[in-house]
Amino acid sequence: MQGSLVDHTSLLLLGAGLILWFWGSWPLLENRSYLSKLHALSVADTLGSALMLLGLLLRIPGQWPLLTLALLGLIVWNTIFGYVLAACSLPARDRTPVEEQR
Amino acid sequence: MRRLLPLLLSIAFRLALWCLLTSDLSWLNLLIGLVIALLLPRARSRPMPLGALLLATARSLLAIPQAYLEALRLIFAPAVVEIEASEPATDRALPLLVFLDVFRITLTPFTIVLGLEDDGRRYRIHSLMPAPKQDGSRL
Repeated sequence: MQGSLVDHTSLLLLGAGLILWFWGSWPLLENRSYLSKLHALSVADTLGSALMLLGLLLRIPGQWPLLTLALLGLIVWNTIFGYVLAACSLPARDRTPVEEQR
Repeated sequence: MRRLLPLLLSIAFRLALWCLLTSDLSWLNLLIGLVIALLLPRARSRPMPLGALLLATARSLLAIPQAYLEALRLIFAPAVVEIEASEPATDRALPLLVFLDVFRITLTPFTIVLGLEDDGRRYRIHSLMPAPKQDGSRL
């Protein structure tokens, strides 16, 4: 009984992640501004992938160290790449990157 | 203590990553991990206010559930508006705090940091919000 509950929860998480992936990737094909595509992509990439990894974590608990590492890496690097892409999309003259030291 | 804190934090973080990667908590493996953590190059460490660091970490963690709420609001929004906004920046002498700020703001689907403005005193933020309700009632 408990096993099937975990199975169902994990399926639910995997499905929710997949929905977020499609919802966030679809705008890439539409005619929208670059930055609004990036907003949607952050939903898909970061949040969708995190849900999927949580689903996998419930499904294969034996692999938790590597899955946790992947979760951490995905959340941090997807987010920071989102920032890098956004910062690089500005024309060079009005760009002041956060990491620039005076 | 304030001078030692960045060193301890970075060693602990590297050791934790090593343990996750190898999933082996034997003494020998911990020792290897510690040696690697000490040998890897390190940025010049600056004194770190512990309170500010804890606050920034807590705010970053709180941003994760908030990001899911914003994602749901964005998915069910009938229309969206794009706005340029800004937020006061933390002191740039503390790169870790700036990193956590950028992470916290960019993680949530409504907002992305674009860089700095106003001579480095504010974050320049691009935000995509669900359009306000009254826009829907056309007369």
